[in-house]
Amino acid sequence: MADGDDRRPPPGSRLLWPLLALPGTVWLALLFVAPLYVVLAILFGGVDPILREPVPVWNPLNWDFTQFTYVWDHIVGHAPFFRPALVRTVLYVTISSVLCLLVAYPVAYFTARYAGRWKGVLLAALIAPFWISYMMRMLAWVNLLQTDGLVNRALSVGFFHVHVDWLQGHATTVVLGLVYGYVPYMILPLFAGLDRIPVPMLEAARDLGASRWETFRRVTWPLSRTAVVVSLLITTLPMLGDYFTNDLLSGSPSTSMIGNLINNSVLTPGQTGQAGAFVLIILVVSIVPMVLYVRSTRSGQDVMT
Amino acid sequence: MAGNRLGASRRAVVKGALAAGLSFPAMSALLTACGSKNTSTTGAVKIPSPDAPVTWPVSKANTPIEAGLTPKAGSTLRIYNYADYLSPRVLKDFEKKHDVNIRLSTFNDADEALTKVASKELKFDLYFPSYDSLGKLITADLLRPLTHDYLTNYNNLWDSFNNPWYDRGARYTIPYTIYSTGIGWRTDMVSTDIAGMDNPYDIFWDTKYAGNMAILDDWHTAMSMVLLRNGVTDINSTKQSDLDMIRTQLLDLRKTMRPKVTISMYTDMPDGQYGLCQMWSGDAINTPYYLPKSVSPSVMRYWFPPDGKGEVDNDLVVCLAQGDNPVAAHFFMNEILDNHVAEQNFGFTGYQPPLKKFTPDTLVADGYLPQNLSPAIVREQDFKVGYPLLQLPPESDTAWHQVWQEFKAGG
Amino acid sequence: MTSRRDRRSPAAWYRDPWRKPWVLGAFTLGYLAWSLLPVLVAVLFSFNAGRSRVTWQGFSMRWYYGDPLRSVWHDSSLHTALTHTLMLGLLATVVTVPLGVAMALGLDRWRGRIPAGANLAVLISFVLPEILIAVSLLFVATVLTSPLRLGTSGQVLGLVTFQLSYPVVIVRARLLTIGRDYEEAAVDLGASPFGAVWRVLMKMLLPAIFASAVLVFADVIDDFIIVRYLSGDSSTEPVSVKVYNTARAAPTPALNALTTLLLVASLVAVTLGFLAYRWFTRGEKGRSLDVFAGEA
Repeated sequence: MADGDDRRPPPGSRLLWPLLALPGTVWLALLFVAPLYVVLAILFGGVDPILREPVPVWNPLNWDFTQFTYVWDHIVGHAPFFRPALVRTVLYVTISSVLCLLVAYPVAYFTARYAGRWKGVLLAALIAPFWISYMMRMLAWVNLLQTDGLVNRALSVGFFHVHVDWLQGHATTVVLGLVYGYVPYMILPLFAGLDRIPVPMLEAARDLGASRWETFRRVTWPLSRTAVVVSLLITTLPMLGDYFTNDLLSGSPSTSMIGNLINNSVLTPGQTGQAGAFVLIILVVSIVPMVLYVRSTRSGQDVMT
Repeated sequence: MAGNRLGASRRAVVKGALAAGLSFPAMSALLTACGSKNTSTTGAVKIPSPDAPVTWPVSKANTPIEAGLTPKAGSTLRIYNYADYLSPRVLKDFEKKHDVNIRLSTFNDADEALTKVASKELKFDLYFPSYDSLGKLITADLLRPLTHDYLTNYNNLWDSFNNPWYDRGARYTIPYTIYSTGIGWRTDMVSTDIAGMDNPYDIFWDTKYAGNMAILDDWHTAMSMVLLRNGVTDINSTKQSDLDMIRTQLLDLRKTMRPKVTISMYTDMPDGQYGLCQMWSGDAINTPYYLPKSVSPSVMRYWFPPDGKGEVDNDLVVCLAQGDNPVAAHFFMNEILDNHVAEQNFGFTGYQPPLKKFTPDTLVADGYLPQNLSPAIVREQDFKVGYPLLQLPPESDTAWHQVWQEFKAGG
Repeated sequence: MTSRRDRRSPAAWYRDPWRKPWVLGAFTLGYLAWSLLPVLVAVLFSFNAGRSRVTWQGFSMRWYYGDPLRSVWHDSSLHTALTHTLMLGLLATVVTVPLGVAMALGLDRWRGRIPAGANLAVLISFVLPEILIAVSLLFVATVLTSPLRLGTSGQVLGLVTFQLSYPVVIVRARLLTIGRDYEEAAVDLGASPFGAVWRVLMKMLLPAIFASAVLVFADVIDDFIIVRYLSGDSSTEPVSVKVYNTARAAPTPALNALTTLLLVASLVAVTLGFLAYRWFTRGEKGRSLDVFAGEA
């Protein structure tokens, strides 16, 4: 045990802490880290000739890079048919995340600042979707967006008849679905961050003549920036692996995202290894924001201690 | 090679082989295949076709069950099938009659199903494949040979199924339903007279219906349609030029038509989500059931080449060796060949059973379907002129799958 | 000194920093309507007398128990989905929370390379897209012989792996605010290190433990990707998978009834959790939500 601790360890604790941490550590090593190697063994492994199911190759010396180069070639090579789905993923996720923030921030801000005695009730209502199954919320929209569904009927009130085929492969529907699905997860951390800003500080700004907008720009926004980063991460990263929102609300290849590529290949004989390649891409892409995240929690901890 | 590989990862290879359920000769083929890059051993799997019928060898590993047994009371029968492809009433009645609990699991496409079946993890007793995967299932030793003593209703079937080309002697399979693949549409949403077109398949490329149509989420079915559109009747073509044509036209279709790719036409089209789709005949027959009351069933149409030169297939029921309840499985197979049960099932699924009782000419008069959907009826002679979807040789299979993958990736 | 009801020019009104935030308030209300109304409509249609999910045909309990074939009560695949979901929620929570709390305590004090690695693994698994864990465990289940198999065992193992970071992160955040003083005081007063943890720390950690239990439970019954890839036959398909499969085939209002029942179950669980939480935090002020947002 490399002991770089500057604090005094309580007596007799040398064994206690490792013992407490060990089960969880072993768990993660066995079920989180080791399976990533299985992904590699399948990605760089073979395919059995009859059923074309994956045959893992454990020894890196025998790895076969066919499946990886196949995926890679079709992302960057001369026939890049995987690329549009990746570009689309970035686009959809970025637009959805920004829209989520545009919706969640004002709502969290109002709740933290102005809700007064309604704060508790409002908060409960805002968190409610958190306890409602995601699938149920999507199912609700599938029903509403049917061609003869309530949305079209509501829009048809008045003189003209609206007949929008919402569920027929529209990027707009998918993005709105993502926003609807993930906004609730964003509101909570934003609220916690905004609620923590000391009220006297804001009142002081206004007393000193700052307008509402200036108070927001100079005081609230800078103080809530960490919460914004965290809430963006909490919603953006899961969106990267989402395929079901897309499946339910569009079902058309013209809106496929990387999650759909994984889902299409993972159970297709002969293409299973490719799912591994896409998973690796997601892993690499996620590591960047994750580093940001770790740094933001570090600074958060520094502030707290 | 062998020393190195076996030393380092024998367990892995053996386990992989076991998982795939390979016999010993197949396993050595596998070991050889591992060394070179993905070379598939052609000839390892026989490919039956109407011109080259196959009699499958009786499995050495999976023994047929003895005659005269009865299902254990309270036991579980695990069935693996498409959604909405078995009547819940039929299942309930069978459960009551034989004191067996049925667990029906569903899959979305045949590829996914094959992967899950091959894992042998799920212990399914009955599986409903098409004959294009039969060779793989038998070669990988996943099936249990049937004991025909239990199948007393087998004679209810059309005579043409007495000795089917894909399984001479019906050693492993019974036929389940028959269907054609054609075009479905609603006259209140599509104004073109599709049946009157020179080449009805062109309708799928008619931009007037962009965003208003769907294609079957089944690689072979969808891709063969492109071949038929272009007059290629070998819908199991292994020619690169044919595949290139499929690719070009399919990508064009995706780009200009924004199709939904799904197998839920039987509910989507009645719901009014789109008015035009590639369709299985059974789903067409089923659409009136799902229509809202405000819409008359007379708006539904189905087209299949009147000369019968289109995709015609039948699905199968097989008994998986991994299941714990082969006796109940045999009983169930016999049950769905029963005239009355098959009728009930037909009423729910819309898929025609190939039983003598259902004469194609009287199906409309007997109220199984409205007159406007009569092209969805499959006749015995359709199997003589129609084109079945066969298993493709491994290299072609991979190439076709890649085109489909490109289509679905939505470039 | 809040609102002055005099009539002023819009510009003056806009410049007043103490004006009532009507726009924000309306926006929030609008958001609430947008977020909850669709769900209420879905709940409403679970009581539809007809099989339509878009046209109201009168009130009935048909899809709950009236229909002899397709109601939640009579269709075993539907009520199995519900019980399986709740069972997964319970099992995963019971395993995850103790494992996570112990790990949080241990990692908070144990220094060295192993705990540093474990720490990193926790943080990575906290933010990584779920599909990564789901696919890798699916591969494990299909190519290796291990206790991790498709079905309940695989689902529980997968869910615990994915959820483990919640209690760890939340409890560690709480540990930071508690500090070492109480525990050291207990040791000075003669308690063993273990006793100090057990008697003093655990009591102070209870709110955080409850918060993470509620979060884990809610998240598990809402889970889709892991439980779908690791599901076995239909008896191990939870509600989310059932909804996904059926919504793409021929859904009836029975599906709405099923999700409504799950909603009721999760609201009951959350209310119980919240009451217990309030009871444990009585006397503490203003901390109620920080624990839930421990990651912030």
